[in-house]
Amino acid sequence: MMLDKLLGLFQMPHDASVHGWRIDSLIQITNTFILIMFGVVVAWIAISMLFHGRKHKAEYDTGDGRKQMIKAACLSVLIFGVVDGNLFASGMADLNDVFWDFDRAEASPNVVRVQVNAHQWAWDFRQAGADGAFNTADDIVSLNELRVPVGAPVVFQIGATDVLHSLSFPNMRVKQDAVPGTITRLWFQAKETGAFDIACAQHCGTHHYKMRGKLFVMPMAEYRDWATEASKLGQRGNDPEDHGAMWGWNWEKARP
Amino acid sequence: MTAATSPVDRTHLHRNGTALLGMMMFMASWAMLFSALFFAYFLVRQKALQWPPEDLPTLPVMLPGLATALLALSSAALQRGLNRIRGGLTGAAMNVGGATILGAAFLICQVVLWQQLVGAGLVPASGTYASIFYTFTVFHALHVLIGVGALMVLTVSAARGRFKAESHIPLRLWTLYWHMVGVIWGLMFVTLFLL
Amino acid sequence: MDLQPIHPPPTSFLRRYVFSTDHKVIARQFLWAGLFLLAFGGILAMLIRWQWAFPGQKVPVLGQIVLSRSDGKLTPASYNAVFTMHGLIMIFWAITPILIGSFGNLIIPLQIGARDMAFPTLNMLSFWVFIVSTIVLVMSFFVQLGSASAGWTTYPPLATQVGTPGHGQTMVVAALFLVGVATIMGAINYVTTVIRFRAPGMTYMRMPLAVWGLWLTSILNILFVPVLGAAGLLLILDRVFGTQFFISGAAAVRGGGDPILFQHLFWIFGHPEVYILILPAWGIVADLVSFFGRKPAYWYKGSVYAMCAVTILSAVVYGHHMFTTGMNPMLGKAFMILTLLISAPAELLFLNWLHTIWKGSLRLTTPMLFTLGVVFVFALGGLTGLYLATISTDLYLHDTMFVVGHFHLTMAAASFLASFAGIHFWFPKLFGRRMNETLGKVHFWLSISLITIVFCGQLAVGYAGAPRRMWDPHQYPFLANLAWLNQWTSYFAFALGAAQLIFVVNFVRNAIARPNAEPNPWQVGTLEWTLSSPPPVHNFDVIPTVVRGPHVLSHPEVQRTLGRDWISQTEDLPGGSV
Repeated sequence: MMLDKLLGLFQMPHDASVHGWRIDSLIQITNTFILIMFGVVVAWIAISMLFHGRKHKAEYDTGDGRKQMIKAACLSVLIFGVVDGNLFASGMADLNDVFWDFDRAEASPNVVRVQVNAHQWAWDFRQAGADGAFNTADDIVSLNELRVPVGAPVVFQIGATDVLHSLSFPNMRVKQDAVPGTITRLWFQAKETGAFDIACAQHCGTHHYKMRGKLFVMPMAEYRDWATEASKLGQRGNDPEDHGAMWGWNWEKARP
Repeated sequence: MTAATSPVDRTHLHRNGTALLGMMMFMASWAMLFSALFFAYFLVRQKALQWPPEDLPTLPVMLPGLATALLALSSAALQRGLNRIRGGLTGAAMNVGGATILGAAFLICQVVLWQQLVGAGLVPASGTYASIFYTFTVFHALHVLIGVGALMVLTVSAARGRFKAESHIPLRLWTLYWHMVGVIWGLMFVTLFLL
Repeated sequence: MDLQPIHPPPTSFLRRYVFSTDHKVIARQFLWAGLFLLAFGGILAMLIRWQWAFPGQKVPVLGQIVLSRSDGKLTPASYNAVFTMHGLIMIFWAITPILIGSFGNLIIPLQIGARDMAFPTLNMLSFWVFIVSTIVLVMSFFVQLGSASAGWTTYPPLATQVGTPGHGQTMVVAALFLVGVATIMGAINYVTTVIRFRAPGMTYMRMPLAVWGLWLTSILNILFVPVLGAAGLLLILDRVFGTQFFISGAAAVRGGGDPILFQHLFWIFGHPEVYILILPAWGIVADLVSFFGRKPAYWYKGSVYAMCAVTILSAVVYGHHMFTTGMNPMLGKAFMILTLLISAPAELLFLNWLHTIWKGSLRLTTPMLFTLGVVFVFALGGLTGLYLATISTDLYLHDTMFVVGHFHLTMAAASFLASFAGIHFWFPKLFGRRMNETLGKVHFWLSISLITIVFCGQLAVGYAGAPRRMWDPHQYPFLANLAWLNQWTSYFAFALGAAQLIFVVNFVRNAIARPNAEPNPWQVGTLEWTLSSPPPVHNFDVIPTVVRGPHVLSHPEVQRTLGRDWISQTEDLPGGSV
């Protein structure tokens, strides 16, 4: 039982995103690299402790012979090139191709746009509604619950009004800080339906620990139906006197 | 062995060099603190939509310009005094005293400036622009105040003939401090009032 | 020529034990203060681990004393203060006084052949400013609205009056400013002393690597602690005088400031700070693997260059703490490259240590065991940094317990194991005795095993996505099945805390007992071991002349001529070839 649990350590939460595999596979590659390197270090120390102890005669080696210095430098460069080089190349590709490529996400015809107002200690989500414009009467505004479709990129513009927060989707592998006075961005595309957690990933005060939300990924047709209904409800329930409810902003203006 | 190279003198010379090195480290620390403040200035200014904000009183240039000139003259006077001592002359009290008075005059200019601006409605809580302005000028003025206090003591020492060509390390160190305070003010003057 | 003439030793109690300008006394003062505060920080850690194991339940024993108003339980607000103060105290009030304040003061003058620091009075003042900062820090616990609680990173706007009202946070930032002043005072002394007071023949390339580590650390302290000072100053101004450097959002006036500005200033200091905390440890490790491997330090110059390279690079990697703040992508990628780059010189340094112990004649004394322990934990912890340097993997791991595991291994475990190595090693010079080897070994083996388990536990739970700074880590459904992991990590953490009592007993018993140690129990060649244990007040009767480096061990010529495997840095060897 305990063995099962121990063997089950170092598991990540279920990956429900289209692009999360890039992060997961890069983590796996890094795992391999570090296990090998750490293994060598531990073996090295153990062998030295066991076989080069008091009874062994020490070799007088200052290590600054030319060949030795070149060997040490080359070994460093080799390890660095293979390991760090790999991480660098993959990391850059991940950013350029996916995680920091917002133009690609926004260019999709099905893109769903969400504005987020992070505050102590809950998440407000706003979708544009039938008119496609933010901060209008038919916006779909929800508290702590977010519904998105599967198979379309979901792009977020994130704001905050009081302190720093951080919008985190563990099952989509991405997060981004919410900074008062700035709009930050995030995007993902879900590959399966289901209910997933939304977490706050930046210490934001007393109830930071329970600033959680729920992400519902729905089939596209169901999402569209829901959105139409919700937009109508939003329109009907809109109170023109309630200026505080219009916390959204012009989407295009906020794009860098 | 001449007097200048006896073991006691060599130890003394070495001590002077050590004191100077320590002072350099100290000034490096202060330079980094002020650099961080300038970094803050540039970052905040670059992010601001409007600089200076429309509805705030504009900063004058004449009065700070005068203050800058006074501080520069003060540095020059102090350096003159130091050069006299290093050259083996006595009578640096006038120079050091002059530097003290000019430094005090700078402080008076700053106080007048603050009074003007507070009266016109610019207070530290008026937003980021005001925050930077007051932080820079007040923090700098505190350093000038410390310097003026030190210069007063040094004037008295100079008048009593305490400084000689081979033994004047306090004067040397405080002159470095004073120049640094002046240079930082120069940078502040340019960034706050001219840019 | 005596650059530092011998003065008659002080006679009054105050001058000898309280306001002493003797670097060795100040070293002991910093050590006692640091160890006390380490215990305090450790108790806070136990509270954190209690909360992770049993969220919301009454804390035994301590709960009734310090948490009586909440019925012995940690409230979310008090928990936030606990982890905040744990971090701050460990970094600034435990590691810094032990590794830098104490070891720096003890080692530098003795190992370079000087009688004292360049500025002895400044040295004495640096300790007392440190004490004042400690008093301000402790006072913050007694403030009505509580102590600092915005995390040790003190990010605004949470750290401004908007997020954390009251005097506690302000007092802690003020205490931080003061401890920074004390640190800079010490650093100026260390840098100047090494430059100006090395004995004849003690070239830079003959200095022990511990001195190199402390010297480079001090340069970083001089340059970067002031940046923290600036950040703290601006935060205090925001809190007390209504300025708006970091306040934005609803509380902003005329557009407001930028909370990210604070992060820039903080991490411009903060990243060099982690190297500040580890460089002395690296120096000590590099020396001790040689001393107890009975072999020269492999490629000494390479290690010096590597440490210098890390020092320089430490200034330009800070952005890796800010990958999720929405910074300019170009800037982010630049920081990724530089952060990966800094691992190269660190690798070289590591390889040199490994080559030093290979084919040596290892003496597994307590200092050596702790030294090997540092190598072990730093390898593991340093490697976990790779995940965090790569931006895409960092997107998942940022602000999870994985980061916490990473920095506890590299910063806490490595620094404290190095501190224990150093305390055991230099105990004869501090207190004129040797600590008990058996207790030392038991302490080591318990600590290293428990450290590995506890911090791997943090890595595991963070890998599974658990965020940091959670009063209740089981709120999130995706983490609900990890309660067993959190509990077991805590059990082992409690055991780790308890194991430290072995060290306390060993340390205190021997620190207060009568001196009886020989001058050179470890049989090594650096200058402090040519003196009695402890050394006389003035250190050297005659300033020595140095004729070789610090790691001449198992040299065949020395073995042949003197019949031993070590030779001191000042000894003349007939034949003159060594």
